[in-house]
Amino acid sequence: MRKILAGILAMVMIFSLCSMAVADDKNVITVTVFRGDPGDQPTDDNRIYKMIEEEFGIKFEIEFLAGDLDETLGTKIAGEDYPDLFDGGNSAEKIISAGALIDLLPYITEEKTPNLYNHIKDLLPQLVNENGELFIIPNYGINYNDQIQNYCNGPAFFIQKQVLEWGNYPEIKTLNEYFDLIERFIAANPTDENGTPYTGFAILCEGWRHFCLINPVQHLMGRPNDGEVLIDVTTDEYKTETFIDKPYAKAYYKKLNEEYKKGLISKDTFVMNFDQYIAALSSGTVLGMFDQTWDFGSATQALETAGMYKNTFLALPLVYDSEYVDGKEIEEHYLNGSVPNKDRGFGISVNCEYPERLIDLFENLLSDRWQKILQWGIEGEDYYVENGRMLMTEEQYKQRSDAAWKRANTAIAIWESAPKKQGTQDDGNAWAHSDQPENYFNLMSDYDKAFLAAYGKKTPAQFFNAPLQIAPYGEAWQIDKTPIQDDYNDYLAIQDAQLPKIIMSADDAEFDANWDAFVAEIAPSAQIYTDFMQAEVLKLVEQATK
Amino acid sequence: MTGAAQTKPSIVPHKKKNIWKTLWEQKQLMLMSVPVLLYVFLFNYFPLWGWITAFQKYKPKLGVTGSEWVEFENFRWIFSRQDFLYSIRNTLAMSLINLVFGTVSSILLAILLNEVRNRAFKRTVQTVTYLPHFLSMVIVVGMAQNIFASNGPVNSLLVSLGLVKDPIFFLGEPKIFWWLVGVINVWKEVGWNSIIYISTMTSIDPTLYEAASIDGAGRFQRILNVTLPGIKSTFVVLLIMNIGHLMEAGFEIQYLMENSQVVDFSRTIDVFALKYGIGGHADYGYARGVAAGMFKSVVGIILLFGANFIAKKLDEETLI
Repeated sequence: MRKILAGILAMVMIFSLCSMAVADDKNVITVTVFRGDPGDQPTDDNRIYKMIEEEFGIKFEIEFLAGDLDETLGTKIAGEDYPDLFDGGNSAEKIISAGALIDLLPYITEEKTPNLYNHIKDLLPQLVNENGELFIIPNYGINYNDQIQNYCNGPAFFIQKQVLEWGNYPEIKTLNEYFDLIERFIAANPTDENGTPYTGFAILCEGWRHFCLINPVQHLMGRPNDGEVLIDVTTDEYKTETFIDKPYAKAYYKKLNEEYKKGLISKDTFVMNFDQYIAALSSGTVLGMFDQTWDFGSATQALETAGMYKNTFLALPLVYDSEYVDGKEIEEHYLNGSVPNKDRGFGISVNCEYPERLIDLFENLLSDRWQKILQWGIEGEDYYVENGRMLMTEEQYKQRSDAAWKRANTAIAIWESAPKKQGTQDDGNAWAHSDQPENYFNLMSDYDKAFLAAYGKKTPAQFFNAPLQIAPYGEAWQIDKTPIQDDYNDYLAIQDAQLPKIIMSADDAEFDANWDAFVAEIAPSAQIYTDFMQAEVLKLVEQATK
Repeated sequence: MTGAAQTKPSIVPHKKKNIWKTLWEQKQLMLMSVPVLLYVFLFNYFPLWGWITAFQKYKPKLGVTGSEWVEFENFRWIFSRQDFLYSIRNTLAMSLINLVFGTVSSILLAILLNEVRNRAFKRTVQTVTYLPHFLSMVIVVGMAQNIFASNGPVNSLLVSLGLVKDPIFFLGEPKIFWWLVGVINVWKEVGWNSIIYISTMTSIDPTLYEAASIDGAGRFQRILNVTLPGIKSTFVVLLIMNIGHLMEAGFEIQYLMENSQVVDFSRTIDVFALKYGIGGHADYGYARGVAAGMFKSVVGIILLFGANFIAKKLDEETLI
C-alpha cells in the first residue's frame, strides 16, 4: 500500500515538473498585483484572464487592500516588498516618494507603443512631475470623442427614490428642501416594511473617505470638487481658501446639528467603518447622505440585485438656500469637465523583472479589440451587434452588475486600474457598456423608468447643470500634499475629531462654543495649507497657460 | 511552575565546580535550550540593531548607511506632540485597569471554582470562561461593537429598565473607552488567566484545610487564611511580570475600536508608532515609529527592574 502511494506521489511530482517545463517553454509569467482598494478575487477559471494568458502569456496574482491603506503601503515600503503592478490607491504619492515605481516614459514611444503614446501625449505636461517623469498612467478620465454622462458618478447629495416618490416628485434644489422632505417622510414612515427604523442622514467619517463629512460645503457654495479648498475662478488671482473654518461652512454644520437634535442623524454614524456603512445603505434603511456615486457602488448593486429599486439613490446637486449666504442665489456646479485621474492607477515597481512585457500588455489592452473585450465582453456571448450598434439583452446587462458573475467573467480587477478608453468609439458606440444610451434607457428597471418619467427627464444626469469647463489648474484635490504632510494630517485630524462633536452639540450655546474652539484650533494648520495650495494652484495655472 | 513557586530551591554550591564541567554534565538540558536562545536572540535582540534608525531620516530605499543622520530630531518631534503624551497616559491607564481588573477577576473566579465540589459543573464553567481566549480580537471587537451600539442589546436593556433615558454612546464617548476595554479584556481573558491560580490552589496541601476546619474556621475563613496565602507567591511573580508589561496595554483592541471621537483616549504607544511610523510621513515616518517604540521599551525595562527591586525588598519571590 505504502509503495503504491509512494509511486503515485512520485508520478505526481514528475507530472508537475513536466507541466512546469512546458509552461516555461511558452514563457508564461505570473505577475504580482496590488490593488489599493478592497475587491473580489477572480475565479480560477475566469474566461477573460484565460484569454489574456493565452494571448500574452501573463497570469495575475492579485492582492486587494485589506485594512488601512497607508499602513499597508508603509509595510510594503519598509520591506521593499513591491508587487510587479502596484496601484497605491488614494496614497500613491507615498510609493512614488519612496522610489517604488519606475519611470514609464522611456518605454512609451510613438513607434513601439502607439496606443499608449496617443493615449497620453496631449496630457503629458500635466501628468509628469517636475523632473519630467511619469510613474502612473491614469486609470480614469481620458476621454475619446464625446463624453457620455448618463448619471453623476462624482459627489452629490443622495436621497432614496421612494422618498421623492412619496413626496410626489418635488424639485429639490436646496439644503432646506432636502432635509425638510426627509423629515416629513420619516414622520409619516418611521420604519420600513420589516419594522426597522429609518435613518434620515448618514455621514461616513472613516479614514480617507471622510470627504463625506468635510467636502460638502464647497458644493453647496456652487463649486465642483477641489478637495478641501474653495477657489475663486472668476479672477486671474485664483484666490484659494479653506472653506471649513468659514462662517458659510458653519451654516451647514448648524443644519446638521439641528437634524441631529431632531433624531435624523444617529450618533453611531460617527463611529461607523466603511463596511458597516455599506451594510447600512444596502439594507435600504438609510434615506440620504453626501457621498460620491462610485464610493457606494457595491451598495447600489446589492439593492438592485435584491430588486429594491425604490431604495436606490438619486444624486441631487444641492446648494445653500439664499438665507445662508447673505441672500445670494447660488448656481450649482457639481459636474466638472473630465480630468485625468493623475497618479491613480497601475505603476510598475522597481522589483518587476519584465517591465517591457507589462508595457506591451497595456499597449495591447488599449487596442480597440481588447477594450471591447474588457468593457463589453465577447460579441455573441455578452453582447450583440445590430445595425452597427452594440446592444445587450436584459439578462446580459443585468449580469454585469452581479458580483458573482463578474468574478468569473470579467477582468475587472485589472481593468479598473489599467489605462482605458472612455467616451465614445469612432463608430459612435460608447466605450463603457453602461454608457451606451440604448442599454441605459431600455434596460433600466421599470421602477426607474417610471421614476424618471414622473420627473420628465431622460437620465439622472439631467438633474444637474452641464459640466463646467475644466479650470486651468484641473481639480485641486489632485495636488500632492507630501511637502506639508505633517500639517496637512493635523488639518484633517482636527476636522475628523471636532466636526462630529459640533454636530452632536446638545444646544445652541454648546454648538457655538464648539464651533469657535474648532476655528481657533484649526487656524494654524489651515493657514499653512492655504498658503501651500495657493502657490500650487498658481503654479499649475501658469503651467497650463504656457 | 507551581512546584518551583512553592518550595524554594536552595542550591548551595559545595565546592567550586568547573563551569564547563557542569555544562557538559547538563548537555541534554543545554541542547534543549538552544532553540529558545536562538529564538530570543533572533526576534528580541537582533532587531534592536534597528533602533539606530531612530536617529536618522530613515528611508528603506537608502538603508541605514545611506539615510541622513538627524540626531534627536525624531524624539523631539514625538515629545512635542500632544497626542504622544496622551498615548503614554492611555497606555499606562489601560494597563493599570487591565492589571487590576484582570488579576482581581481571575483570582475571584479561581476561588469560586475552587470551592465548587461538583466536578461536572466546575469543568463546564472553566471551559466556558476560557473559550473566548481563543477568539481573535477582530471577532471580539465586532461583537462588542454590536452589543454596545446605540440600538444594541445593552442599551435596549438599560433603556427598557429605565436606568437611562437616552442610549449611552459607548463606542464614541472618550470617558468610557478605558473601562470598555477593561471589561472586554476581562470577558476574553478571565478564564484563561484563572487557570494558573486554580492549578496553584490544587497544589495547596489539603491537610491545611483540614487543620483549619478542626480549628473551627468556616469556609470564608479558610479562603482568607489558607487559599490566599497559598497563591501569594504565584501572585507576586505574575505581578512582577505584568508590571514589566505595563507599557504594553495591548494593540489590537485599541486599534480596532479607535475612531475619531475617542482617539485622544484610545491611542496607545503601539498604535501611535504604527500610525506615525508605518502609516505616516514619507520621510520621517519610520524613524518616528522606531523612536516611539524605543521609548516604550526603555520605560518597560525600568519598570520591570523597579518592580523586581521592590519585591526583593519585601522579601518576596523575585523573577531575576
